[in-house]
Amino acid sequence: MPQKFILALLGLFNVGFSFGQGPEHHIPEQAVTVFSINNQKVLSNISLNELISYDFMDEIHQELFDRSTENKTLEDAGMDFNKRLNVFYGKTNYYELSGFTFGISNQQNLFQALDDFEAVPSPYPGIQLYRSFFNHLLIDKNNALLIRVEPLEDYVNQLTDSTWYSRGNLPPFYNEEEDPDNPDYNPIPQENNEINEKNYYELRDSLQYTLNQEYLTIILKDLYVSNNNLFRKDSNFRDLLTHEAAGVFFMDNSRNIDRAKNLWYLKTFLPTLYLDVQDLYEGNIITGDLLLLDQQIQFNLKAHYGDALGSIYTSLNDAKFDKNISNYIKKNQAAYFTYNVNLRNAYEKAFEVIVPILSKTKDPEVSYDLLMVKLANALINKDALFDAAKGSMFITFGGIEKVKTKRIEFFYDEVTFEYGEREAEAEEDMPIFTIGFSTKRQDIPEMVLEHLSQVTSKFQKQGDLWVYNKAIFEAAPLYLLNKKDLFILTNDSVLAKQYPDGYGKDRLSKKTLKGLKNSGSMAGYADLQALVNKFPKEFLSGSNQALIESLRSKSGTMHMHSGKTSKNSTEVQLTYDYTESLNSGKYLLDLINTLYLLNK
Amino acid sequence: MKFKYLFFLIPLLFSSCIEIIDDLTLNADGSGTLKFTVNLSSSKIKVNSILALDSLDGQRVPKLSEIEAKIGQFKSLLLQQDGISNVKTEFNAVDLIVKLSVDFKSLNQLQEGIQASLNAMNLNKKVTKEDVQWMSWEAGTLKRTMPEIFQQELKRYENNDISLLKGGSYACISRLPGQILKTSNNNCKINPSKTAAMLRINTFDLKNEPSILEHTLSTSP
Repeated sequence: MPQKFILALLGLFNVGFSFGQGPEHHIPEQAVTVFSINNQKVLSNISLNELISYDFMDEIHQELFDRSTENKTLEDAGMDFNKRLNVFYGKTNYYELSGFTFGISNQQNLFQALDDFEAVPSPYPGIQLYRSFFNHLLIDKNNALLIRVEPLEDYVNQLTDSTWYSRGNLPPFYNEEEDPDNPDYNPIPQENNEINEKNYYELRDSLQYTLNQEYLTIILKDLYVSNNNLFRKDSNFRDLLTHEAAGVFFMDNSRNIDRAKNLWYLKTFLPTLYLDVQDLYEGNIITGDLLLLDQQIQFNLKAHYGDALGSIYTSLNDAKFDKNISNYIKKNQAAYFTYNVNLRNAYEKAFEVIVPILSKTKDPEVSYDLLMVKLANALINKDALFDAAKGSMFITFGGIEKVKTKRIEFFYDEVTFEYGEREAEAEEDMPIFTIGFSTKRQDIPEMVLEHLSQVTSKFQKQGDLWVYNKAIFEAAPLYLLNKKDLFILTNDSVLAKQYPDGYGKDRLSKKTLKGLKNSGSMAGYADLQALVNKFPKEFLSGSNQALIESLRSKSGTMHMHSGKTSKNSTEVQLTYDYTESLNSGKYLLDLINTLYLLNK
Repeated sequence: MKFKYLFFLIPLLFSSCIEIIDDLTLNADGSGTLKFTVNLSSSKIKVNSILALDSLDGQRVPKLSEIEAKIGQFKSLLLQQDGISNVKTEFNAVDLIVKLSVDFKSLNQLQEGIQASLNAMNLNKKVTKEDVQWMSWEAGTLKRTMPEIFQQELKRYENNDISLLKGGSYACISRLPGQILKTSNNNCKINPSKTAAMLRINTFDLKNEPSILEHTLSTSP
């Protein structure tokens, strides 16, 4: 009897543990990244339209909200401010999932805002299920999960190709009539009138839909039948939600598929070794607290890891700041970043930790590679190697400047109007960057540059300065400085020609330098007005364009520095100072959006 | 369909410092030669930085090799059109200069040939007759303007860098079989022998008023 009572109690506890609490219990365990926002502090003055304008809502909002959301606050939409809003994202080898979970105060109001959703039969007891295009809304009492699952495009294409060719089809892009080698080639495109068989794109759509349903079912069964969720699975996540913060951030780096891609070969061909290497990342979780202060937002990030990885990181971060670096950062620099590590220590420790793991495998290829690593370790002059590349570096952004380039100019004979070509000077806008590395062996880069200058006339020595002509897009020069135990590459002609020994009195202040010295391995600063608003998006890839766009029109400064590294964690603090007296919750959402784009 | 993003190149041209030379030579029978040159060498950094991207503003950016292949395809297609011969193209991928030279039997056949060739390339925008009807030769009078396809793009780009546009130019050169008696545009320069005319306008002024490139040249019979 007492046993039955205990079992019944445990059963009740289990159900309660899974569903009886807040919306955080509805986050699928497949989620890798979660932003959990304290609604009272952040969202009370945010309108629905403002919220859905963020990139982190973009994954799901497009078919979700329409004019029904206009002039409505989140409260009008039936959201419960006493509960958290959790935005999540995850990616496996086969699909991506994204969505959010939240509390409901008034279900009727909720469906006035989300009026495109229609009820569908729910296979999950006690759970209401609604659907709108690709989005699914699941309601358990007063908690909701809004989820979107999509198979990865590459995987869908792979399956489609496989099915398409196995049916004996020709490549979908090949058209016999468009082949210029075909004597009947007709450049005017012909319509495909075959209607009895799915074409390539129809086949792909079918597969995509089927996979979409399959993956959604896997996730929802796991959540509502097996009662698995991230809150239940991860103690770090549970602990994080007890923090008194406006928002918290969670990322399970051990399941971060983009990092895991680097290990795909091991996973595919040497699964045992993969598991050993994967062990290194076990417990590699990144958590963060977002704090709202007076005209400041603080983001305190902590990377957690196991002993093995921790021992490597501790060795890596056991480095003194190279004060020569500060000579080449101006006190009014728009943005800079310094990275200060001890590569030699990290190498020795990584060798000590990773070689025994690799030694376990009997695979001849890995064994051969391991032999090469051991031979290199025994034969290479590590003093020379790590004196040449000590591990410290810096990057600065100096705004947009006009740089001298060459162009082709057409000149005209005023009598005949005939014209010819000649090379002329030109000026173009260019973002100015400088990157420098600490080195104790200046003779080594010098030797390489001397050699290159003999091979190509593009490398020229001008006094102490090396110039690599037309290095950037066949147009602008790159300057190389090999001075003061630093090897510097820059497209800043002013730095290279007027300040080759550093900025002197215009360099970083002593106070700032002290701050950099006291930082851990990383420190950074950005004046958002100078950095974001002036940076031409043409110079950035797609995801970085979105990042810059998300920060446009923002002012204020950002500081970043890492704290101490222990065997089990490293801390990083990001501070965002702003002067405008705008809603601080709005600033926090801006910052969350930036972090989302960085982590996506 | 594969190359529909090539129309993306047209706005790219006008967001750069661009030099266009539209050089027409006409014979007495209406036949002639068109030499069309697009020079982007003044914006090498900007254009190359864009070409290095996978996409910009949600549109796929073509690779240089794809552009080169498309220029080759255009040449082949143009050669197949009625009244068109001796088509030559040149693409300087380092300095970003494209040159086209084509002989034609009549201006109508040239413009129809260009329209048909562009449409056969399966670009995502259908090219109409009006898009490429920028020259006519009738009763000893040549009428010229800028191709509509360029005008539309110029109008769209309201916030372009003014200095880039001011640095660019469109040069319209006409070499005619008879003596030029008069021109409708006072900015048009006529050579001492009165057999050729040139009108060169910067792209900033063209953006504000495309009609300033319009001109007619009347010749002696």
